[in-house]
Amino acid sequence: MNLFGLFQVSGSALAAERLRAEVVTSNLANSESTRTPEGGPYRRKMAVFESRTSSPFQLLMASTGSTNSGLDSSGGVRVSQVVEDQAPAIRKYDPGHPDADASGYVEYPDINPVQEVVDLMGAQRAYELNASAISAAKQMIQQSIQILR
Amino acid sequence: MSLVDNTMMQNLTRALDLTALRQRVVSENIANIDTPGYKTRDIDFAAEFRRALSQDESDAAAVPVQVRTLRGLEERPDGNNVSIDRESLLMAQNQLQFQTGVAVLRSEFNRLQLAISGGSNS
Repeated sequence: MNLFGLFQVSGSALAAERLRAEVVTSNLANSESTRTPEGGPYRRKMAVFESRTSSPFQLLMASTGSTNSGLDSSGGVRVSQVVEDQAPAIRKYDPGHPDADASGYVEYPDINPVQEVVDLMGAQRAYELNASAISAAKQMIQQSIQILR
Repeated sequence: MSLVDNTMMQNLTRALDLTALRQRVVSENIANIDTPGYKTRDIDFAAEFRRALSQDESDAAAVPVQVRTLRGLEERPDGNNVSIDRESLLMAQNQLQFQTGVAVLRSEFNRLQLAISGGSNS
């Protein structure tokens, strides 16, 4: 059993959670953006997580220690895609705004700051949890090295 | 009887291997704490270790360690049933178990060292 594989698993989760936090902060930053390169107001984005856990066969190979067949590249989690919320934009009456339409309404993104902050906290906590899993793995490896001393 | 490759050493090695594998499964559970539809997985350490002890070393590689999906945990609306508390506790427990195994292994080697040096401190 290769203990170093633990870093790959927890490391993938750190990357995924950080991307999630980035998406959420982007939502918060653009909560008033009425203009995007694609046209129209900013749309709320969400990170979709996908499990990449090793198959029972790979775990078997790991348990026998005979090979590390692809184990280093698998396991953990990844962000499979970042999707856009299809909810309709909020319309506010503001005829002086440069992005106002013919009837004087401006489209604002439908972003709820409370929901985004809660999501951000979730990402942060999950990041911390995975970081502590990494320090646990690190400690186990250091203990194994102690046998040599 | 071999001094280094005796039954106790072999069993210790198996226990450490199994603990390391379990740590991996727990890490995967923690990594997937926000993945919709993911189900907690675990290894029955006692059963797997008992089975490893009962079989000959030569065919130990032939029998896979069973990683099973855990049932009975509370499921969130997105179909994920990973419990932070359970995984954190298991991680701590597993870590201590590994530490214990390493300590016993070290003391065995120290004893061997003592025999080699004829009882003098080296």
